[in-house]
Amino acid sequence: MNAALLSLFAPLAGGLLLVLWRPARAGLALGVALVSLLAAAAALHQVADGTRQWLEVGGWAPPLAIRLQLTPLSALLLLFTAGLHLLVAVYAARRPHAIGGADFWPLACLLHAALAALWLSADLFNLYVTLELLGLAAVALVALAGEKAQRPALDYLLLSLAGSLAYLLGVAILYGRYGVLDLFLLGEQATADAPTRLALLLMTLGLMLKGALWPLHLWLPAAHSSAPAAVSALLSALVVKGPLYILWLLWTRLAPTELAVQAGPLLAGAGALALLAGGWAALRTPLLKSLVAYSTVAQLGYALLALGLAMHWQEPRLEAALWLFVVAHGLAKVSMFLAAGELQHTLGGKRVVTLKGASQTLPVTMFTFVTAGVSLIGLPPSGGFLAKWLLLQPLLERPQHWGWALAVVLGTLMSAAYVFRVVAHGFDRARPQPPQVRPDRFGQWLTLLPALLVFGLALIGERMLPWLEGVSR
Amino acid sequence: MSWTSLLPLAIVLSSLVPGLIIFTLREEQQRLRVTLNLAGVALKVVLVAAMLIGVSDGLTFRFSLPFLPGAPLVLQGDALSLLFVTLSTVLWLATTVYAIGYLEDSPLRSRFFGYFSLCVSATVGLALAGNLVTFLLFYELLTLATFPLVVHRGTPESLRAGRVYLAYTVGGGTLVLMGVALLHALAGSPDFQPGGYLDGLVEERGPSLRVAFALLVLGLGVKAALIPLHGWLPKAMVAPAPVSALLHAVAVVKTGAFGIVRVVYDVYGAEAMEALALARPLLWLAAATILFGSLRALQQSELKRRLAYSTVSQVSYITLGVALLGPLAVVGGLVHLAHQGLMKVTLFYCAGNFAETLGVHRIREMNGIGRRMPLTMTAFTVGALGMIGVPPIAGFISKWYLGSGALEVGQDWVLLVLLGSALLNAAYFLPLVWRGWFATPADWHADNWAGERWETHWLLLLPVVFTALASVLVGILAGTAISPLGWARLIVDREFPR
Amino acid sequence: MSTPLFWLGVGCVLWLLGLHGLLTLRNAVRRIIAINLMGSGVFLVMVALAIRERPGDPVLVALVVTGLVVAVSATALALRLSGQLARARKGDA
Repeated sequence: MNAALLSLFAPLAGGLLLVLWRPARAGLALGVALVSLLAAAAALHQVADGTRQWLEVGGWAPPLAIRLQLTPLSALLLLFTAGLHLLVAVYAARRPHAIGGADFWPLACLLHAALAALWLSADLFNLYVTLELLGLAAVALVALAGEKAQRPALDYLLLSLAGSLAYLLGVAILYGRYGVLDLFLLGEQATADAPTRLALLLMTLGLMLKGALWPLHLWLPAAHSSAPAAVSALLSALVVKGPLYILWLLWTRLAPTELAVQAGPLLAGAGALALLAGGWAALRTPLLKSLVAYSTVAQLGYALLALGLAMHWQEPRLEAALWLFVVAHGLAKVSMFLAAGELQHTLGGKRVVTLKGASQTLPVTMFTFVTAGVSLIGLPPSGGFLAKWLLLQPLLERPQHWGWALAVVLGTLMSAAYVFRVVAHGFDRARPQPPQVRPDRFGQWLTLLPALLVFGLALIGERMLPWLEGVSR
Repeated sequence: MSWTSLLPLAIVLSSLVPGLIIFTLREEQQRLRVTLNLAGVALKVVLVAAMLIGVSDGLTFRFSLPFLPGAPLVLQGDALSLLFVTLSTVLWLATTVYAIGYLEDSPLRSRFFGYFSLCVSATVGLALAGNLVTFLLFYELLTLATFPLVVHRGTPESLRAGRVYLAYTVGGGTLVLMGVALLHALAGSPDFQPGGYLDGLVEERGPSLRVAFALLVLGLGVKAALIPLHGWLPKAMVAPAPVSALLHAVAVVKTGAFGIVRVVYDVYGAEAMEALALARPLLWLAAATILFGSLRALQQSELKRRLAYSTVSQVSYITLGVALLGPLAVVGGLVHLAHQGLMKVTLFYCAGNFAETLGVHRIREMNGIGRRMPLTMTAFTVGALGMIGVPPIAGFISKWYLGSGALEVGQDWVLLVLLGSALLNAAYFLPLVWRGWFATPADWHADNWAGERWETHWLLLLPVVFTALASVLVGILAGTAISPLGWARLIVDREFPR
Repeated sequence: MSTPLFWLGVGCVLWLLGLHGLLTLRNAVRRIIAINLMGSGVFLVMVALAIRERPGDPVLVALVVTGLVVAVSATALALRLSGQLARARKGDA
């Protein structure tokens, strides 16, 4: 548990220090991310065999206490968060154009801390606070892009607040009904009565709004595509996963089984529609970064589909698929957003058509985009493929579930279509767009790293998939 | 790890590693690039020869790496995979030489040869794949690696063709993915084995198995260019000639046909195919494709497109032989895998030579071309006659076995299909031969090789002569054990234990 | 009607009014006020739940206080953003 706390407090302290002490920003932020990463690795090592650790803050016992819990899954998410933060920080230190100003550093540290706290929280109100911190840090980061991002940032903030308040009203109702806030105590007591249903409905809608889950995703494309590249990468890869994690906690730990079984198909249906609607929008948009942002909407659809069906059938394999989607999408999306930023910056245009001839002028970045895209499509042997494989197995076992598999097929085809839409422009030799500035080799190879890591997941797939199934229970 | 487990991996890596290195080379590092390419080819030839000897002595080669739970990545060399590996390797050798000559002085050669090597690696990996999941992996990799070659020229036309190609192959790949995942959900993913591994499920999960079969055959049928999934092949002919030759006459379409062989014999097995009544629809589809492809070929006025439709037709002979489910017919289908490869690659090299040397693309421009380019035209004639089925060229052997195989299992109507197709083949190939040799020569404005010693660049001539000779030799030597026919019979002896 | 129930009702109505405002209004400052209305609604609900018994539930009071802090900082950020937005508009015009 101490390691996990270190992983949380290092970025928190770092963020506060950075606010007060301005020089040496990048160095301090890098150090903080590195410490957090190592601590998270130690935490994962401690609980990898499936044990759980608790910390009762201030020594109070439940139900009064605020409990922090470290599960193998939260340790994995800590590691994932710290790893991506470190990577983005290294990139940002090297490529200042991608961060939109020096205020990036403290805000990124606060974002990291908020996420770490979210993964470790185990009571509803604590989750609310972390969720709000996350939202505020994210909005401030979006606003770094300057004037063009202020409108999207404000919309993001207001909708995010509305989502939080819906969630908070749900929390109030649950507390009024049961008198506890601890997730696991609630899970033991909860019954399927009207206040519980109402509270779960409010909380689910609020979280779906904050997590940009279809059909409440409308703020996401504008916010993610107008933010600086490094921020977009963090937002798409990590921030939207926070509300998803709470949603998963709610429906698998707190909600009575009976309600979860009823609500499952609704969430799964929203997921399937997200796949189609997000994919379609990505196919139509003329702008590169908004294509990548819509692909996030679509990819979250896979996660929501897995969550809904896991609830409906009470199937642990699907929960494992959910987390694998989260990790694989996070890694691929960091690569993809950074590559998109790099392409945009070097070629000096926002539209997809400016990529003409990019396979010649910027081969490494184009290769990064494709590699990440292959994982998003879910072709073997990428992490996206592992997740999809895990999702498909329970769907295919019974013919009556094949309708859901059809949604996965359509989602795959859509994602292939929008990824290759970009790639095809890269091979266009008709009127190639010359680079405006010299490409940066180190930055290019760095963006490739997470995309390669997604493929690295295949090497440990045989051991990781059963482990994930075990720890999601 | 012993050498028998590392050899399959080494065979895949012998083209993958040079390919990856080639990507990093600068354009002007011509000599290094050629050396790397040829070194990779030579190494692969040696390794494949070692494996051929091993397999005929009864050794088994198996490499495995953990991947999915219950579905490791398996590369194994058995008799069937070696047929395809050997074919790909020999033709890779010829085509590399051809491509070095063809692409001399054209831009982006490092990229071209890099992807070219990746394609060969994917094809070989697919041939060596020991279970469905591994097969799927290389099948998708092949799609990704061939796309840059189709759009290599970067013109609007080739980009359009590339989109069509991707739409078909990614769609097909998704169907294969679903089929593989469905079979895994039903039966796991054990290694391929003669006679299949689904026997216990036929009673219980019959409908699901049928759906899985349909998914796999439709998905593989895209690459095997079964109708109505053949539309990408004629369009993909905008690619440079070596690509059309190796990939779209041999590697890509053959992976589809080879996959169908694997699915029919090593996943389902003849018994399950009978019990589920799956063979008959496949047979009809193959027969329809044979006739349809030939008819469409007849209508084409462009040489490469005519050859492409001829491929549509000829590749389905393999599927036909497989779907007949009798030992002799399977020998015919398998041997055609090798024979059609040799003959068709010859024809495509010739088409490339005509286009490169004289700027001839359309059929009416071929008048009297035999006087200007006698060697190429001789090779073209050999290939064309072989396709029609004139003895002793390779094509005759395949058709003979397919015909007797059809009689053996009592499907006499297939003979009519074969006969009709042979007539159509004659109808669309003989006029070309006649034009080439006997019509009054046209005036070639674009003769960019006039007055040299040979009729065209020697690097373009050498592979043509080599494969044309090989097409004749494998026909003449069909009776010996080392010929493709001898090997196909070995496969069938192992697949149909009596 | 008991006092807690009355305040509970008022809280819910405020929350709904705020939501309605957020969805229908265009002006940034009005939308920020609407959000604050929603927040006040939730806090009223919490207070109403806290005073169901005597003495009031300290946990809920603590929650309200924390919630207010969060709401104030969020409002500050929102106002700052909308101010910048308005300035940018004026600059354009």
